[in-house]
Amino acid sequence: MIFIHLVILAISMILGFVFSYLAIMEEDLLKAVIYSAGQGVMFSIAFYILMAPDVLLAYIAIAIGIYTALLVFVISKTERKEVV
Amino acid sequence: MKRGHIIALGVFIALILLVSLGITFVGKVPMTTDVRPLGLFYLKNSYFGNYAARSPEVVTSILWDYRGLDTLFETGVFFLAIISALALFRIEKKEEKVKEKGEGFTFIVKDTVRIISVLIVAVSAAIALHGHLTPGGGFQGGSALAVVPLLIIVAFSKYALEGRGLTKDTAMIVRSIGLISIIILVLIPLAAGGYLMQNLPVFPSHILGQLTSGSLVFYNLFEYIAVGAGFTAVFLLLSIPEKVFHKIIGGEKE
Amino acid sequence: MIEMFLWALVLVSLMATLVISIYGIVIRPSLIKKLIALTILTDSANLLAIMIGYRLIYPVIPPVLPQRTQEGLSKFIASSVDPLPQALVITAVVIGMAVNVLIAFAIIQIYRICGTTDVRKIAEVMKDGKT
Repeated sequence: MIFIHLVILAISMILGFVFSYLAIMEEDLLKAVIYSAGQGVMFSIAFYILMAPDVLLAYIAIAIGIYTALLVFVISKTERKEVV
Repeated sequence: MKRGHIIALGVFIALILLVSLGITFVGKVPMTTDVRPLGLFYLKNSYFGNYAARSPEVVTSILWDYRGLDTLFETGVFFLAIISALALFRIEKKEEKVKEKGEGFTFIVKDTVRIISVLIVAVSAAIALHGHLTPGGGFQGGSALAVVPLLIIVAFSKYALEGRGLTKDTAMIVRSIGLISIIILVLIPLAAGGYLMQNLPVFPSHILGQLTSGSLVFYNLFEYIAVGAGFTAVFLLLSIPEKVFHKIIGGEKE
Repeated sequence: MIEMFLWALVLVSLMATLVISIYGIVIRPSLIKKLIALTILTDSANLLAIMIGYRLIYPVIPPVLPQRTQEGLSKFIASSVDPLPQALVITAVVIGMAVNVLIAFAIIQIYRICGTTDVRKIAEVMKDGKT
């Protein structure tokens, strides 16, 4: 049923919105990176439901592995807190 | 998570629900049920037909055959981005090995990384080399391969990689070999009397009875090497301790 | 009707993610936070491109030919999604990652020179001309 596909898609998109809101509003940058990785997980579920396995294979390695590690390296070399 | 964030999130989600309800009652939601003509052409001609790439994987055949020049120049952008990142972080003097304090992770983490990294290399090679048959290809396999040096750098140190010969210069040489092979593959059909990046009549569609879809398998292989080695070089540079840079930058200033 | 509501919900929450990431790029002061918001913006734009190629029919399959016969081809055309946006997005994901690496390196270099990643303080340091 396409209904179930759409329900999973809608839940993952709303959770992706929640994670990206938290990632942008969080003042501790390390926590923001973790939230951003959560947003990556939700978007990769959406890519799977939207029948794009090619994009999924590239996205899951980049958005959850490489990109999180890159930002953790950058934060360890610079500063951790954001002063608003 | 603060209290204000929870309230704001609740308001936002309620707004999203309301707006989508409103759009539904107005009835202006674009819901496509058919493929556009250009996509239909690719779906029909990817394996059968006169303009075939002889590949059951339509996405890879678009990437490296139908719109091959786009992908070629995207590879050029990738090359430029990595080169400029390396230029920002260049060290002209020979860097000294910084003694690290502590003992590192326990043997559980280290042994797990030893096993997992071999598995990831095997899986990423499978993703890249089966790119013309199943979902996957050079970009996907290369980005999966780039996880391996990252894991090793985190679990051991960058000297574990450099002690085994995988320095930044080696990674750059491997990456250049991949890129030069892509350029040569682009130019081969011109020498054989065809067009630039032509696929099928020039390259054989079956090698030893196996379906290789012309040049797609070679492009995937070399793109895999180039992407994996490029990200490896970047992470080797990124894991240099900041003390080394402070010494070099401070030395230049005075 | 309920399907139309769910599809509208998906599109609207994607738009909300786009808007909030643009807010992050424009308003938040930290350069690292701007980089995080930029990647969220890129991901949502890619997802929007994939959604354009999706088909709201039930037996929907990825654009990989399941059987190499003529009947398999006609069934495949009847139920496969549009492959062109996916092919464009794959390169965008990987090249976007390479460009993000360049931006991250530039942020580290700015921190070495100015001693901060806050754009307001960077402006002050640049105006005073002291490093």
